[in-house]
Amino acid sequence: MAKDGVIPLSPGRKTRSSSQLSPSKPSPQNVYPFSSQTQSQELIHCLYTSEEPISLETLISSFPGRKPQILEILRLVGSLNSPMFPLLIYGGPSTGKTIAILQIFRYLNRPFVYAGCRTCYSPRILFDSILRQLLLHGRNPIKGNSGTKRYEKPSEFIDLLRIALVQAINALKERNLKSGSEEVDRGKMIYMIFDNFELLRSWDKNSNIVPLLLRIHEMLKIPEVGVIYISSSTPDAYYLCTGSIEPITIYFPDYTLEDLHGIFMRNQPNPKLYSSFLSVVLKPFFRVTRRVDELSVAFQPLFQQYCKPLVDRSVVPDEAMKRKLFDNLQPYLTVALNDLFNVPSWSSHQTKQEGDHQKKGIRKSNRKEASNELDFHMSMSAKYLLLSAFIASRNPATLDASLFDSSGGLINRKRNKNSQMSMDRKDSMAEQILLKGPGSFPLERLLAIFQCITSVAESLVEEEQHENGTVVESGSFGLTSDVLLQLSSLCNANFICKSGSCPLEGSTRYRCTIDEEMAVRVAKSINFPLSSYLYRR
Amino acid sequence: MALSPSTTCDFHSSPISTSNASDVSDNNLQHFFVLHKAPARKCERKSSSTYRRTKRKIDMLLSSPIKDTQEENDAIYEQLRLEAFENTWSKINSTVKEVLREINLTLFEEIRQWVFESFSTIRSASPVHMMKPYPIAAGATCKRIPAALIFTKNIEFVDDMLMFQDLKGYMQSNGCHVAFLSALDISTKCGIGSCLRSLYKQLVPEASDVVDVPLIASWYCKDENYDKPIAVIIEDMERCDSAVLADFIKMLSEWVMKIPIIFILGVTTFDALRKLLPSSVMHNLQLCKFTLESPIRRMDSLIEYVLVRPSFGFFIGHKVALFLRNHFLRHDGTITSFLKALKLACVKHFSGEPLSFLCPGMLHDDCEAFWSGKCESLSEVLRSYAFDLPSCQRGKTTGDNNLSQGLSKLKWLQNSWSSVLLCLLEVGKLSKIQLLDIFCEAIDPTLCSGWALGQQLLPPLTASHDSVNGGFISQAIQKVRELPSDSLCQLLGQWSLHTAEVIEMDKEVKAVHSMINLPSDGHTSKEKQTVNINGCLASSARKKGKPFLNDEAAMLLVSLLRKFLVPIESVPFHEIFCFKDVSSLKSALIGDPRSVIQDDLLKSGEYLQSTSCSRREHVLSSSIHDTAIMYSLAQEYGDLINLHDWYHSFKTKVLISNPKAKRKAQHSPASEKGKSKALENEVSIQARFCKAVTELQITGLIRMPSKRRPDFLQRIAFNL
Amino acid sequence: MASEKALDCLRRRLCDSSFVYSAFKSTPAGNYSKLKFLISNTITEACNNSVLLLGPRGCGKGAVVDMILEELKDEFPEIISVVRLNGLLHSDDNFAVKEIARQLCMEHKLLFSKMASSDDNSQFMIDMLRECGLAHKMIIFVLEEFDLFTQGKQRLLYSLLDAMQTLTSQSVVIGISCRLDADQLLEKRVRSRFSHRKLLFTPLSTEDMQRLLEHLLYLPKNLSLPSKYVKEFNSNVNNILGDKKFKEILDVLSSVDNTISNICRFLYHAISWMHFESGLLTLDGFKNALSCMQRQPMLDKLQGASILEFYILVCMNRLGSREQNSFNFNSIMKEYKAIQDAYKTSDNYSWSVCLRAFEHLIERELISFLDNRMRSLSIEYRPVRLLLSSQELHQGLKSNSFCPAILLKLLNHESYR
Repeated sequence: MAKDGVIPLSPGRKTRSSSQLSPSKPSPQNVYPFSSQTQSQELIHCLYTSEEPISLETLISSFPGRKPQILEILRLVGSLNSPMFPLLIYGGPSTGKTIAILQIFRYLNRPFVYAGCRTCYSPRILFDSILRQLLLHGRNPIKGNSGTKRYEKPSEFIDLLRIALVQAINALKERNLKSGSEEVDRGKMIYMIFDNFELLRSWDKNSNIVPLLLRIHEMLKIPEVGVIYISSSTPDAYYLCTGSIEPITIYFPDYTLEDLHGIFMRNQPNPKLYSSFLSVVLKPFFRVTRRVDELSVAFQPLFQQYCKPLVDRSVVPDEAMKRKLFDNLQPYLTVALNDLFNVPSWSSHQTKQEGDHQKKGIRKSNRKEASNELDFHMSMSAKYLLLSAFIASRNPATLDASLFDSSGGLINRKRNKNSQMSMDRKDSMAEQILLKGPGSFPLERLLAIFQCITSVAESLVEEEQHENGTVVESGSFGLTSDVLLQLSSLCNANFICKSGSCPLEGSTRYRCTIDEEMAVRVAKSINFPLSSYLYRR
Repeated sequence: MALSPSTTCDFHSSPISTSNASDVSDNNLQHFFVLHKAPARKCERKSSSTYRRTKRKIDMLLSSPIKDTQEENDAIYEQLRLEAFENTWSKINSTVKEVLREINLTLFEEIRQWVFESFSTIRSASPVHMMKPYPIAAGATCKRIPAALIFTKNIEFVDDMLMFQDLKGYMQSNGCHVAFLSALDISTKCGIGSCLRSLYKQLVPEASDVVDVPLIASWYCKDENYDKPIAVIIEDMERCDSAVLADFIKMLSEWVMKIPIIFILGVTTFDALRKLLPSSVMHNLQLCKFTLESPIRRMDSLIEYVLVRPSFGFFIGHKVALFLRNHFLRHDGTITSFLKALKLACVKHFSGEPLSFLCPGMLHDDCEAFWSGKCESLSEVLRSYAFDLPSCQRGKTTGDNNLSQGLSKLKWLQNSWSSVLLCLLEVGKLSKIQLLDIFCEAIDPTLCSGWALGQQLLPPLTASHDSVNGGFISQAIQKVRELPSDSLCQLLGQWSLHTAEVIEMDKEVKAVHSMINLPSDGHTSKEKQTVNINGCLASSARKKGKPFLNDEAAMLLVSLLRKFLVPIESVPFHEIFCFKDVSSLKSALIGDPRSVIQDDLLKSGEYLQSTSCSRREHVLSSSIHDTAIMYSLAQEYGDLINLHDWYHSFKTKVLISNPKAKRKAQHSPASEKGKSKALENEVSIQARFCKAVTELQITGLIRMPSKRRPDFLQRIAFNL
Repeated sequence: MASEKALDCLRRRLCDSSFVYSAFKSTPAGNYSKLKFLISNTITEACNNSVLLLGPRGCGKGAVVDMILEELKDEFPEIISVVRLNGLLHSDDNFAVKEIARQLCMEHKLLFSKMASSDDNSQFMIDMLRECGLAHKMIIFVLEEFDLFTQGKQRLLYSLLDAMQTLTSQSVVIGISCRLDADQLLEKRVRSRFSHRKLLFTPLSTEDMQRLLEHLLYLPKNLSLPSKYVKEFNSNVNNILGDKKFKEILDVLSSVDNTISNICRFLYHAISWMHFESGLLTLDGFKNALSCMQRQPMLDKLQGASILEFYILVCMNRLGSREQNSFNFNSIMKEYKAIQDAYKTSDNYSWSVCLRAFEHLIERELISFLDNRMRSLSIEYRPVRLLLSSQELHQGLKSNSFCPAILLKLLNHESYR
């Protein structure tokens, strides 16, 4: 049957077949691939949800705080076989739009076609997946894909879609005729759901995909088709210059505190305990973010912490115990509030390190790498190169002359340090750094600074070698070609990024992306006086 | 750059060039060797090279009557050396691979466990749901992809590529689907399609051009593929394009319940990752971190297994070791480059050292027979050469057959040396001293003289004294003095293992070990009783025996060091086994092509010894290659070169010193034909000019004119 | 049961455009009769013609054309053949010609070869025009989204109109566009060949609206519903229509947008609120519909924000009010820290958490980057701008129940700056 599914769409027959039906009134018999009952049955099954239908109560109860929206959607979708206007369901991310719709259709138990614009990352893939669902290619998508170059043009897609829809609707109708009265009538509507609709706007190269899909309903002119758009951005994002028939909008507001409580209380083994946990945790986190996914990610480890003192999780906590648990949780709570992702480590010898890591975090509000030494290997010249890149992108180029004298040594800037003009120039500089971020610099400047630094560094390196008792050949830092290799590998590690060639001269410019403390750590590892080279201090 | 000799290579470096090419092919311009002029020219400069002596000898002999036999001998020995090199290097290479694999093995096992654990959390219900195009209706919590962060402890990811390949193999053998995504797949211009395509291509050999996730899902539904995790390895996360990667992750996260994708990401720092991805995407990853061995550790174990433990009949001298160490620490800390350097050294040694075919004898179980056999058949020249070796001169060894004896003595010394060093390493491991440093110190030829005088070891070292002559060895000894008894006992146990094959050592160690063992056992038992009573007794009991025992151990170590830690360079005949030529290695490893190219261009006259050039050096003539002329002309400008002036000076240069052309130029106005000639001459000059400019640009010496000032070229002159 | 039937019937009516616009068939001065007269004239006189239907979206241009074409097909069978193009789909000229050829083949039961070149297709089109002209057949070209055809070279329009000028063909070109200046977009050579007939479709006048409402809402007698229920229903509708409150609602609605489609959507909403037991429409239903019709998306977005996000918005607003021309996350963070130091609020969060909130705001499209140039720069350095007016922000803060009072003060009062 897969063959039947494909053949009418192979170019030769497609034209002939579609040449026999006018766009307004398609005569589907000719192109109808499902000659036998079984196939049409299978088609129908493909279009329904695979899960068991659910009752209205379970539907509503499974979405705390979503009752009005669900009821409104049900009203607007209307009863069986009644045509509908296109709907636009919008609301912030992770407000349960998609899931609500899917469950609603599970409840309604009506055939629908789902196209997620994130999964279908290009118009062609989008068309492909829609038609595949309608034409039962879902069974063998490789076949469906193998016939490439089928609907490059949107108009071809529209024609094919029309044909496919008519086929499907006919299949539904005859199913109803066949089943007759003894089985409940299951309608002949087909619904098309476009999810993540807001992503369409970023498909810049064919800009008319958005109006096309927005007007697909009036273009098809098939009353048995209902269209539902799901978007995380508000309808005004789709206003077009020439305007469009706006779909009817339904707004999913972000969850309120009570809704969230309800959501997190769903199917908990020990509701009492968890509710006491929520009463501690939910409010503070709610001030930071209102997204269910982020909250649940944050709560998981916290709840483990919360339950640590308990011997069995099934205990019903009384007031004293609650207080004790809360005191136990308190420090971790503050950490978790200010920290997004703590990465657990698998192997045991790292877990304890992770533990004191967390204690550090308690003290430090902002928990970056608390350890002061670098946690990865880096050759010395690479370190110097990185530092010089950092200096080059922190200091304005005009100040290099004042920083380094001809011999490459550092000029002591004591005298002009306290002069007023330098001061205000300094904080203007700081402001600028805050705004512009690290400046970009050409390769020549980087190498010049690198030379200055290393020439200074030579001396202390020398004596360090003496105490090692190792005599090393002089000029171990001398610029060699592999400094350029170091540069490339620094670029690969994203410590330095090649910014696009600047408009004035044709050369590529570099920019150092590491932050202050990282640079300080690097400088410490080779005891290099970084702060005296930075202009800000 | 046809004429730059930096590309001409002699037979010495040609094996390097080939091997190097094969090595480099897998990655980008991270590592390469610069092939240099033939060492025939180089070793005129450097003194005290064994090579020169042999040359002289052989030259001297070439004039002698027994020339023909000499030549065929040479051929034979050449052959022998080549074989020797091959089997030695193959042994070393296999050991290296083995060691590196061993290091990663535990990590791989951890990752495997983690993968299957997290797979059990996200495995999906049934293929029926899987075919549906819409996400499974479940909470937002299960939209997270498990992702292992593998912290590669090195900003150079060259070493890690091999590791990731091994990991891939390991996972595949353990029942995962594995796909390998590189930063090239995840780039802006290809977009997200290419990620999916390459992912799918690796899962399914025959893949269509347009790939979307349902396609992968349907592939996964097949019975032979079903119910296995799909591990996606991204080896160098930092280089990926952030936007595309974010899309990719988000897209897969919608499907994770249906297609159990599990990421394995190689990153350098966590901050870099956080910079790369927005937090909303980070929430879709369920992170778990793993850490690789640090390159220092790897290096240590490499040295232990390659250079210390069983001698492959190839050693490196003190200077070479220092150079390698510094190169590793200073210039690029990659194992890859270290290995390449080692191989290079090996090649240079075997090709340069006439007697190097004796090296494999080290591996023979009865090396005596091997060597004596070899030595019998040794030709007069080589034998005399062997006895003229400086080390041999020093050693005052004379007579016929004791070349082989000397060799076997050397082997014995070497074995004892390595076993003592191993003992030192055990200490070093306890007190965080790097093997690399100890090795470099232990191989120092000045060391043994120091032993002879015997300072710095006997008196218990004070911290100040330590810092003055900061020998790592003395630190180690100091450490032995401070060890607690139980670990001391363990240490001695390991020592006895290491020193098993050297008899004398074995005796001493055994003695001390036994004499430590008994009281230490007593200690432990006594502690067992005293601890549950009160702690102070135990500590007092510990105080009694400790210093005495430690001193014993320290003394043992010192005596061992005195007797057996004989660095190879102070042993007769070591030149045969030991590679000491730093400068050639250095020039091969950190050659700076830019400067080479530059001064080659400037004095190209020397290389092509043509009469026209050699007549007048400072004035440059037109018979030199155009590019050379152009570059030497360019010296007169600053870093901005006016194109027009440059062209004209070039033209005059060419025309003047080319008399025929000049004549044409003179009587060109007379005849129509001549004019056309002059014209095409002009044209050809322009063509040559352009060609030369392009060559200079390709070599990276000049930069093409910019929009702002279209008639000016910029000279790229770092003094590299 | 009866109520369901009634509801179903009403929905069908609303969704069936031909029924909706049949309300205005009878008016003599209406566009419907004008256009129909025009086309039927052209058919009877066997000449060429072209007309533009202009007017805002949702005034029933397309619907009117469809109705007319249907009727004409019945009146003149075997004469009319229709070719429909849509600017969205066929704006590419070559492809449009191809499409025309395809549809002509379809109409006249010819075999269409996909491989034909565009020249062949255009040639075929011209031949068809001639043939049809000789056979006294009419080809009606309906170009929806007419303005989109005028982008580019307008080769299609030119060849079409030129053929009509020269050949002895009979054809009508009906351009439908929601741009009132659609004919100004035409090139000279095209415009000169274009007959400047324009039909302007205007939004509803009040009495039209009244008529429309009655036309749509009164249940017919003949329907298989209990006549008692129908009578009750209609009287109820009558009351509602007569109600003053309803008039107000209608005024509010039409003051925003009184195109027919908008009214239909409004009614669709309203009848979905139909009272189920009695099966009667209620005034509240209309009220709810209105409230749903006039949401303010900005405020919706603002409602979703968490407190920390509000803090960031306020900081941006303060920075903006200080004539600081451009600011990025770092400067916002500076302001935020300053506020926290000054007022010691409980909402002093770490850098990374604020960055996440910042990203949330960008996702919500409450703020946006100034430019896409500096992609290489990390996010905290890229300059951003606030998409809210301070009034909206103020309103959002006020309507937000749980947000702390300090925020409002920080936003408004000079003393807190």
